[in-house]
Amino acid sequence: MPDNSAGNNAMKNSVMKNFIGSRAMPDLVYHSPKEMKDLLALVDTHGSSARVVAGCTDFIPSIRTGRWCFDQELNLIDISKMPALNQIEKTDDVLKIGAGVSLTRILASPEVKVHCPVLAQAVEQMASLQVRNTATMGGNICMASPAADTVPPLLVSDAWVIIRDAGGEHKVLLTDFFTGPGRSVLTQGQVLTHICIPVKKNNESAWFQKIGTRTAVIISVVSAAVRVSVSNGIFETARIALGSVAPTPVRVAAAEQFLEGKPLDDQVITECARMAAHAISPISDLRSSKEYRKDVAQTLVKRSIFACREALK
Amino acid sequence: MKMPLTFMLNNQQTTLEVDARQTLLEVLRNQGGMTSVHRSCEEGECGACTVLLNEEPVNACLVLAASVQGASVLTSEGLVKNGKPHPLMKAFTDELGIQCGFCTPGMLMNAYALINRAGDNLLTDQVIRKTLEGNLCRCTGYVNIIKSVQTAQKAKLAGEWW
Repeated sequence: MPDNSAGNNAMKNSVMKNFIGSRAMPDLVYHSPKEMKDLLALVDTHGSSARVVAGCTDFIPSIRTGRWCFDQELNLIDISKMPALNQIEKTDDVLKIGAGVSLTRILASPEVKVHCPVLAQAVEQMASLQVRNTATMGGNICMASPAADTVPPLLVSDAWVIIRDAGGEHKVLLTDFFTGPGRSVLTQGQVLTHICIPVKKNNESAWFQKIGTRTAVIISVVSAAVRVSVSNGIFETARIALGSVAPTPVRVAAAEQFLEGKPLDDQVITECARMAAHAISPISDLRSSKEYRKDVAQTLVKRSIFACREALK
Repeated sequence: MKMPLTFMLNNQQTTLEVDARQTLLEVLRNQGGMTSVHRSCEEGECGACTVLLNEEPVNACLVLAASVQGASVLTSEGLVKNGKPHPLMKAFTDELGIQCGFCTPGMLMNAYALINRAGDNLLTDQVIRKTLEGNLCRCTGYVNIIKSVQTAQKAKLAGEWW
């Protein structure tokens, strides 16, 4: 029904809010660019009606569950067929992953296994095989979920993303990328094209752990990633990131700074984990209470640092 | 937006008129006549709509039909040859890996890809469970499903497979 009056839409939305079941997809025009210049032209031409997608494993459920509602026709720009965004390359000290690379390809990649094993460790625990075969790295980041499991490993790896728009290429540190749940610094006309990760060094170790209400196909109640480098028996650098405990995945700077320069003692690690849990203020929701999240965050950080220490022995 | 869609459906070149907002699930069921692809959760939790897209299992409910242009799609109808059930299907009936049957087509497709990938490596309980984690069975028949997959792999290693 082509009635777009404001009153009618408000009514439709309030009715839809209480509707349990699968909502219809909005009108779509499907685009599948092959070259970067075609992609940029499409996002430029279609402006606010453009949506860049790849696997669609989050896009479709967002519409089906009513989280996203569109009154106008959408121009869907599918970047999953772009060869330039489907590669995993290693150049010098950086692992560069295209936004359209599927999670299954992350698991299959020998480069990721060698240069950023913590990312593979997280991806292995994500969703199901069917979803991993379609879902992409770029999608997991751009959806900006506080529970995105690829993000804590990338945050501790000091990763950055490359954003393209008509003005050229921009490098944004992942720590600066997220602005809230489902929100990022990406603006209209911009596309996230690559994720860049500094490669793992010999004296470094990283670990990821998550807790959900079950093991398989589940959204994290809390996820934690840790990366430490060790020299002469002391923690040289430390990175600690947590997911599902704040509006965005976060790093806990106070706990990181505490760990740096300290010996690899059990007490030091335990205190660091306590500080990490102290620094966050998670919310209670249908998956968990805030108290439980704090407890679990502390345990996950502790176990992850222990695991890193073990790996460096 | 209406658009023509050409792809390989169960090894046959197929052209259908689809709408860009249709998912692969809707097109396979409504235009393609492949009713073994079951519609259930429509958000990638249950796996009842699992099909093979370029030989890899995907949830047909989470794939836009428009994006399979030129690709190959296999549903469990495509496993039947000359009216004969596939050895994998026979294993599921022999081992009682099928109860109400709603999850079965999805289980079959995921298991089919798994057995093909595995080659000569015998599939362990753990590997099968991890691979089928995205396929829910609410009759609690997982033990028999795992047995079915192992029996099917033996059939493949004995040369009865296509």
